[in-house]
Amino acid sequence: MDKLKQKFIEEASEHVAEIEQSLLLLENDPDNPDLIEKIFRAMHTLKGAGSMFGFEKISDLTHNVENIYDLIRNGKLPFTRNIADLTLGASDLIRLIISEENQSEPATLEKYENMKEVVSNILSEISKGNATIMDEKAIDESLMATYYIYFKPGINIFNNGTNPLYLVEELAGMGKSFVLVHQENIPDLENLDPEYCYTSWEIVLAAETSVKTIREVFIFVEDSAEIEIQELSKKDLFENKKFLRKLEKFIPGTNEIGFDQFKVLAESSDQSVANKLKKALGDDYKKTVRDYSISSIRVASEKLDHLMNLVSEMVTTQARLSLYVEHESSGELTTINENIQKLSRQLRDLAFEIVLVPIDTIIIRYQRLVRDLSKELNKMVVFQATGTETELDKTVIENLTDPLMHIIRNCIDHGIELPDERISKGKPAEGKIQLNAFHSGTNVHIEIQDDGRGIDVEKIRTKALQKGLIHDEANLSDRQLYDLLFLPGFSTAENVTDVSGRGVGMDVVRQKIANIRGEIQVESQKDLGTKITLKIPITLSIIDGLLVEVDKTNYIIPLISVSKIYSIDHSAIENKFNNYIVLDEERIPFFYLREEFEAAKNTEGQEQVIVIQYENQKVGLVADAVVGEYQAVLKPLGKHYRNQQIVSAATILGDGTVALVIDTNRAINYFSKLITVEESL
Amino acid sequence: MNTDGTQKDIQSYLTFKLGDEIFAAHVSKVLNILEMMKITKVPKAPSYMKGVINLRGMVLPLIDTRLKFGMSETEFTPSTCILVLDINLNNESVKMGAIVDFVQEVIEISKDKIQPPPTLGNKYKSSFIDGMVKTEDYFIMLLNLEQIFSTDEIVSLKGVTSEVAS
Amino acid sequence: MTKTILFVDDSESIREIVNFTLKNEGYNVLVSDNGKNALKHLDGGNINLIITDLHMPEMNGIEFIKEIRKMENYQRTPILFLTTESQVDKKQEAKAAGATGWIIKPFVPAKLLEAISKVMR
Repeated sequence: MDKLKQKFIEEASEHVAEIEQSLLLLENDPDNPDLIEKIFRAMHTLKGAGSMFGFEKISDLTHNVENIYDLIRNGKLPFTRNIADLTLGASDLIRLIISEENQSEPATLEKYENMKEVVSNILSEISKGNATIMDEKAIDESLMATYYIYFKPGINIFNNGTNPLYLVEELAGMGKSFVLVHQENIPDLENLDPEYCYTSWEIVLAAETSVKTIREVFIFVEDSAEIEIQELSKKDLFENKKFLRKLEKFIPGTNEIGFDQFKVLAESSDQSVANKLKKALGDDYKKTVRDYSISSIRVASEKLDHLMNLVSEMVTTQARLSLYVEHESSGELTTINENIQKLSRQLRDLAFEIVLVPIDTIIIRYQRLVRDLSKELNKMVVFQATGTETELDKTVIENLTDPLMHIIRNCIDHGIELPDERISKGKPAEGKIQLNAFHSGTNVHIEIQDDGRGIDVEKIRTKALQKGLIHDEANLSDRQLYDLLFLPGFSTAENVTDVSGRGVGMDVVRQKIANIRGEIQVESQKDLGTKITLKIPITLSIIDGLLVEVDKTNYIIPLISVSKIYSIDHSAIENKFNNYIVLDEERIPFFYLREEFEAAKNTEGQEQVIVIQYENQKVGLVADAVVGEYQAVLKPLGKHYRNQQIVSAATILGDGTVALVIDTNRAINYFSKLITVEESL
Repeated sequence: MNTDGTQKDIQSYLTFKLGDEIFAAHVSKVLNILEMMKITKVPKAPSYMKGVINLRGMVLPLIDTRLKFGMSETEFTPSTCILVLDINLNNESVKMGAIVDFVQEVIEISKDKIQPPPTLGNKYKSSFIDGMVKTEDYFIMLLNLEQIFSTDEIVSLKGVTSEVAS
Repeated sequence: MTKTILFVDDSESIREIVNFTLKNEGYNVLVSDNGKNALKHLDGGNINLIITDLHMPEMNGIEFIKEIRKMENYQRTPILFLTTESQVDKKQEAKAAGATGWIIKPFVPAKLLEAISKVMR
């Protein structure tokens, strides 16, 4: 008997320990049903075993506590602090009891009596008519909240005499409401069957009620309608002016909005949420908020494409109109045309805002990636980006995210060396990854440049020979060797780390870029670094341009790059030393566009010097005349002209002829090189 | 009849002249024929790239076919035309305009009438010509447009017809 | 305009209570003790709501509901039926026959009026 008693004491201690542990966990996780169950079972076992082994007190005590936990696990009693304390007290007592040789220690007995009383008090409270529970429910009911309700009756709902409007009215009558009727699925009269219900409703309701009560409104139509009820906010959103204003913008007849959008709306109107965000994100706050507003408009991308095409045609046609009006001007027509021009410009800007999104939306995550990854690999890497305001189609950006991620991973994993290695090479311990984005004609260029170890062409050659991809004698240029990197499964990395992974090779990257009709190029120099350039075409580009004339031919210079225009007599720039001119006390290099476009030079008369600027570099372009401003819809020049030095796109003028568009970036690069060449002579 | 109007062994070609030499292009590659119009020059390009024109809102590069084939530059006459070509380069559909002296007609050629391309000295010449056809009075060279326009080089086809004839 | 409700139940006491309750609320009330007889009331075409029990002699509730729905004037008229909590399958059957909603027996007058307001205004 003693042996068994001993066994019981051991097991009981284990049960008590389990109860204590569960209680501690419940502190942080008060609704966890598993923990409650654990305590219940422990109590239950102690009750049974206790009486078997002569520990009646334990049996009595645990019997009542077990009842309490039974009620809790059936949802009839909430788990409160009181109960937690009680349970702890009870388990302490149990421990005490089993540790004592004889069960009649007076102190213990007293404790036992007290505990019993407390427990039975609780139990009688409960049986007194569920007062506690009622209170809980009452509290539940009187809590204000705002709900989103979606109600779409089945198409045949009229057949059993239901009138969905009554239900909507009943809902609206429960508190403050906003009802959005969706009639867009109602077919036109020809196809309309009046026996069918095509309408659906989205309702925002602020009331002191619960999801359960709201559901009861729909009790008769539960299985003949689509019903969605979700809590939008624990507050009365109708008190929030911002939210109300946004609600007003919803026009009936638009497609169903959905809970998620309403939630976004609710949260973005909520100042306290906004403040929390601000604190948490700091600088990134603005960008995140912008993310919110970007995602709150859902428009099919085909519609956007269509929109852009129409805008482009409008711009071109409007240019023709302007030309006509110039020649056949009548006062009134000129004014009307000016108005149309203003409107079309605004429309164009708006369309762009909708479709195009700046790259910085995805850059943020790369910062994160670099930080995390470099830490993981024990490397020191800093990531910088320029030109993040460069815009691309939303869908194109979505397709760029993964390839860029992979390229950057590669830079950190294979490109940038460990700090020690870098120092031994005379480089700073911290490696740098630079991302540059800019427009060039109808493309956006994204360059990722690192100052790491560069790509080892010998390794590529060796690996390719190994794999039988090239012949021994084959004399391949560096460029051709880089191309081999894009073959599936090709990796010269010593260890295929988790980071860059197997199977997500450069071949996949190239495919993804090709899917958005882009190109990828690799340049590298041993120990100096690698530069990967992505060239992605933009669907549509309309720029404000400056129309200039050179030898009776028209050219466009993007207005955004034009710093200033000077009208100078030819003699002032003739024979200028080294082609520099001082304008506004600045020494600026200049170039004759006539020369560049292979026409004879002017010998006299006025010349126009258009100073273009990119970052800190300024260059003056000399043209015959400045014609005026022109909204240019950019068209690509095509593969044949991809190596042009200063031109990368064209546009179609009002009279139907083609005008070349000068690419500021390329032009400045090109002319700077000329300067360096000249200066070295 | 196939859906493109050709029977399996009879194909349609558009014939055109560069000087005295007659060439032909498969009709599936010719989108349309335009009269000469104002060309916008694009500077610092290969000599045979004449510039660009506006084709219904699209910017189309123009090639002087004579120069491309190693002949003298095209002298514009009222008969000078532009063939708008649509060829497949690197799995992409590329459009361009080819300036020719004279556009003749569309003829149907049956496969059995096509002779293998001439192998004349330079082996590269043959890859640009799919085959040739002899009529009563003259030879017609059937061009392999993809090969010709996939290279930036000048394709030396000058005098090829007379070489064969002799 | 005053609405007319047709109430059908084979228990006299229930008919009394319902009659009293509904008249108090300002409705016109017609009562009947079985479906067959009730159909005669419907001939006039002026009934706005029908409430019926399911267990009745001669014609049971389900059949009655089906007959109502066959009548041109009553294709869309709301129909409520009385049921006990446990009869889940009866509920389905009645709905399938064309009933709009239900009231659970035993009911207090307030519950009756609540159900009515869901289907008729």
